[in-house]
Amino acid sequence: MSRLAGGVTFAAALAMMAWLAVPVSAHHSFSMYDDKKIKVFTGVVTRVNPDVNHLQIFFAVMNEERTNVVRDAKNQPVIWAVEMAGSAQAAQQGISVNSFPPKTVFSVALKPLRDGQPAGSREGALFKCPANTPPKAGKHCDSVEGNQVFGNGPLPTPTS
Amino acid sequence: MKSRAWLAGVVGTLAIVGTTVATQNQPGPNQPAAGAAKSVGRGWPLAADPRNFQAVGPSGGGFGGFPGGAPGGPAGPGGPAAPGAPAAGARGAAPGTAAPAGAPAAPVAPQAARGAGAPEAPGAGAPAGGRGAAPAGAQAGAPGGRRGGGAFNGTARNGATPPGIEALKVDLYTSKDFYKDKALWTDKRYFRCNSSAAAENQWGNGGGALIGDNPPATAAWGYCDRDMPREALVSPYPFKTAQAHYEALMAETKAKGGPTQHTYATVPGEWTGRYGGSSETWFYMGKLQIPTVLSLLTPEYQKRFVQEIYHQGNSNVAHWPSQYCWPEGFMRRFHQAAVRDHHVMVTPQLVQIMAGVADNFVTNIYVGRQFNTSGAVPRLGADVPRWYGETIGFWDGDALITWSSNIQGWMTHSAFEHSSKLQTVEIYTPNRDASGRFLGLNHEAIFYDPEALVEPTRIVRTFTKQSNPDQGDPYMFIECVQTIYPVNGKATPLAPGATFQYEVLDMYGRPWAQMWEKYNEKDMEKPVNEDLFDFSSNKK
Repeated sequence: MSRLAGGVTFAAALAMMAWLAVPVSAHHSFSMYDDKKIKVFTGVVTRVNPDVNHLQIFFAVMNEERTNVVRDAKNQPVIWAVEMAGSAQAAQQGISVNSFPPKTVFSVALKPLRDGQPAGSREGALFKCPANTPPKAGKHCDSVEGNQVFGNGPLPTPTS
Repeated sequence: MKSRAWLAGVVGTLAIVGTTVATQNQPGPNQPAAGAAKSVGRGWPLAADPRNFQAVGPSGGGFGGFPGGAPGGPAGPGGPAAPGAPAAGARGAAPGTAAPAGAPAAPVAPQAARGAGAPEAPGAGAPAGGRGAAPAGAQAGAPGGRRGGGAFNGTARNGATPPGIEALKVDLYTSKDFYKDKALWTDKRYFRCNSSAAAENQWGNGGGALIGDNPPATAAWGYCDRDMPREALVSPYPFKTAQAHYEALMAETKAKGGPTQHTYATVPGEWTGRYGGSSETWFYMGKLQIPTVLSLLTPEYQKRFVQEIYHQGNSNVAHWPSQYCWPEGFMRRFHQAAVRDHHVMVTPQLVQIMAGVADNFVTNIYVGRQFNTSGAVPRLGADVPRWYGETIGFWDGDALITWSSNIQGWMTHSAFEHSSKLQTVEIYTPNRDASGRFLGLNHEAIFYDPEALVEPTRIVRTFTKQSNPDQGDPYMFIECVQTIYPVNGKATPLAPGATFQYEVLDMYGRPWAQMWEKYNEKDMEKPVNEDLFDFSSNKK
């Protein structure tokens, strides 16, 4: 009986963690994302959209040296979007317009769109670097002393 | 000194009220009740009532000006100015308005008596017993809206310059780069003495175009001698923040034994019902010279305001949020054109006000609750800016005193942008006639926005009750269905089946400005923004 209760509790906890990342009560289908892939980025925040249904963070992907951002053929920053739970739920984890102003450096894992467009659904915890302190070359914010973590667990490992 | 200035204000107000008639929405203006007039932060008289001023213009050719202005045709001849009135277009405080800190300013006399087209409203008069900051010295407002038609109402058009005015070599309608003209923005001739509302209409918004045969260089001129005094726009109260203002009003109420803890038996249930639209306020912008409005704003928001006026008046590229079904934004609540009926529901713990034309404005006032002040701005719920903010309040007898915060920054077309730091203190008080009959609500709002405003501003308006909920049309919940799209940076109505290249805008990054900057400012020298992406110091 107690084993059963423990199992139920564990399942409930897992469900809650999943809900905080991507709500079951989403206003759109998440089938657009490839749940077999995980990408991990460190980027510079350009905008947080505090939309009711899904908070989105737009970010410019940092280069491997962590000195600037990756640019396209027109020398424009390559912008990705990561969406997560609704803005109020995200705020419960501390993720908001105010805590992620432009120029914030952070690291996040996401399940990318199946069609290759630069957007994804957040996966796992999110790490914010201290102000103006990007990680060392090739590293992510979880390696920087004084980082802040939003959500539970480590930064997921990329699938490829 | 302080009491003398206050006395002058009261006497001036009474003198003006005694000679004037009603507004478009209220049977008559109300004097602040004695108790409210002594308040630390509410009920102080207006320095000047917008209804006493004429539209700056230009208008005509289909555009009828604004409520309270002479509809369409030229301004009426006007009677003699009231004794002591400043000359038309006079700026600055009227004699006796230089009140010491903490004292209300004396009202400024009307700019000029309104002439034809301003019939007296039946039942005019100043009902007694009203509370709140009442517009003083109201004259009959010409009824009607924006599209009155009629003759040209301005001072010169089609390339001509008004008599006695020396045109600038470069102005808004000839400039290729308004950023370079910053030194000229304080000169109303730079805008051809147009109000910002009139600049929207140069190309024919609301009727016939005024822009002339060689647009935009042949844009029409407004009246350079018309304006409202800045004192009528700013808060008369000494507070620097909404919090300080709200807390002072709370302390004042506590000193009287309040706040009032209403029950369903005592709450002013007569407030519940359907009201008409907002009475005229300065926020309509039709009676203000643009430099007067600019004087309210910080440099960044001055730039944004001129950018908007330039692209409406010169480029003819209007990006009004509601035309794309974007949010209207908090400040549109205060624009007459954005609200029709107001539906009010009063309970002891929650007061709800709903209004709207292109979007729903739902103001929920949570009575007795406290803001969480630990974040960037005070808020009730999660750390998420809300399009229409969050509002708390308390009762002082039959006065409802509120504080709004956590507001998403946005724009109001023809007016200026507000930031996400905007907070308001708003006071709702009942207007009654001499017999005590409830007529409607007086709504006084003070705006604190340290990012956009150089000092707090104030809007006072009235709502006239039309019926209880058992009569009249129900609230019309608004769902906006898009028919106009930004195609290559220009608003374009499209028919079913039409296709165009859709550009995703940064919706929280001034999307209207993104389009102007991309399509209409290619050759301008915009101020350079900080490089977000430079972390070169990390290279070690």
